[in-house]
Amino acid sequence: MSGHTHPPLIVRITLHLAVYAGALTMVLPVAWIVSTSLKSHHDAISAVPTLLPAGPPSEWQWHNYAQAWTIAQFGDFYRNSLLVAAVVTVLSVAYNALAGFAFAKMRFRGRNLAFGLMLATMLLPFQVYFIFAYVLCGWLGYVDHLQALIVPFLASAFGIFYMRQSIITVPDSLLDAGRIDGLSDFELFWHIVVPLVRPALGALAIFTFMASWNNFFWPLIVIDSTDNFTLPLAVNRLTSDYFTPSPPIRMAAAIILIIPTVGVYLIFERSFVKGLTLTGVKG
Amino acid sequence: MNSRSSGSSWHGWVFIGFPLTIILVFTALPTVVGVALSFFEWGGGDRPRFIALDNYQAAMTRDPQLWLAMRNTLVFAIGTVPVTVVLAFLVAVALHARWFVGKTLARTLFFLPTVMSIVAVGFIWQWMLNPRTGLLNVIVAGQGADLPDWLGDSWLGLGTMMFVQVWRNLGFCVVLYVAALGRVPRSMYDAASVDGAGSWRATWHITWPAVRPMTAFLVITGTIWALQVFDLDVVMNGWNPQRFNDLLNTHIFREFKNGRLGYSATIGVFVLVLTAMITYAQLRWLRLSKATAV
Repeated sequence: MSGHTHPPLIVRITLHLAVYAGALTMVLPVAWIVSTSLKSHHDAISAVPTLLPAGPPSEWQWHNYAQAWTIAQFGDFYRNSLLVAAVVTVLSVAYNALAGFAFAKMRFRGRNLAFGLMLATMLLPFQVYFIFAYVLCGWLGYVDHLQALIVPFLASAFGIFYMRQSIITVPDSLLDAGRIDGLSDFELFWHIVVPLVRPALGALAIFTFMASWNNFFWPLIVIDSTDNFTLPLAVNRLTSDYFTPSPPIRMAAAIILIIPTVGVYLIFERSFVKGLTLTGVKG
Repeated sequence: MNSRSSGSSWHGWVFIGFPLTIILVFTALPTVVGVALSFFEWGGGDRPRFIALDNYQAAMTRDPQLWLAMRNTLVFAIGTVPVTVVLAFLVAVALHARWFVGKTLARTLFFLPTVMSIVAVGFIWQWMLNPRTGLLNVIVAGQGADLPDWLGDSWLGLGTMMFVQVWRNLGFCVVLYVAALGRVPRSMYDAASVDGAGSWRATWHITWPAVRPMTAFLVITGTIWALQVFDLDVVMNGWNPQRFNDLLNTHIFREFKNGRLGYSATIGVFVLVLTAMITYAQLRWLRLSKATAV
């Protein structure tokens, strides 16, 4: 739509309706489980579902959340998930930024080979490498420990590539001036580059946190004992045959699971979307 | 690039050494070993036994479930990727228009499913489509009517998974398309309005070709993701029993869990080759149509 001439009113109204119908399709299912999570068991499975829980908000079943939390012992799993996501986010953003800086602004032997090798790994499908990655984690003693969810994620090819693309826009003249002042490479990185690429660092931190928090396939493979479950594994268990609490409790558990990522997304929406669109894809 | 970098000419390795090691050890090395493993029989414990092409022969001749899963996975990719990309383009065009009210709100809502854990997505849709209490059945048919089993082990169950895949990926494509549309120069449209082209025609003849690189990116990455889909199948259907609507990666995971590491690597190699072939064909096709366009 060029925007030079507006399409007729009727077309504009129709398009708004179509787009918001789509948006509603995105939100309605989520709203529906929020509503279910605040109902009594009886109301939730009633043959005549109501959109809102019965009674005024003060009478809604808020205690479903407390119950979900205690029944599923979410405290422990929340701690596991937060620990993993926090360590992975802080360390991998740091390592990726340092490597991105080296690839963007330093000259050294084997740089292009290393960069090409790293980029190529982005194309490898996990179906082939998860098997031996699992065996490797077994040999290292990581299987069924949180290290298995941390160590392999301490750096990522995507993260390094993303930081390199951002850091390459920092003018060389600034770095040269710093060198004349006698700054080391690390000081150049810390005092000149980091302040200039802070938005990219923030976006990468958000991506990394979400990816780590939502990771499901790999924890499903490497974590066996319940003590070391992350939150997605714990919530997933609530559907299994031997332990299925009532629907409102399960829905409350699902909400507890998505609150951190949805919260982070809504708070940092702007930088998140901006970061997403800076990944170097031209359109 | 600056030529008088301090330190030795190996100095950069201090910065990339550790991250590169992590990536090579946990991704590149296991890929190479994984391909090698496909020629062995191995349960993970004792020494792997070299069996040459036996795994491949077994896959070709004695594993009908593999071909069922292969068919489903292809149907899944073909049925979701084009729909997602075209819908996302149309939504993005509307969101990009100057007259659209509530751009940020709509974009935020579309993106919401993308940030949610797949486990929660599974819960949401199992509850929405529940044959007794699901909201959808109430909306569509009122109560008492007989409705199909949306989550059954059938073509319909596969279709439901495809719908959920579109649902959770649409927002990602919308956001990237909106960004791409913002980079289309205004001057391209000026020429068109001189010719009297209306909005619909401008969209089709100018906007769509102008965002072709983004379309290519979304089609190729979308196909790769669709061929690798696994979590969705597991949270909606579980992984244990072999099913009519099985997907390739669920099949791989099942073989892996049953201790057949070599054989699961073999199917992994199938996926690797399939992905490479499809990506190559798409790149060829895109380059070809680009050369003949305009």
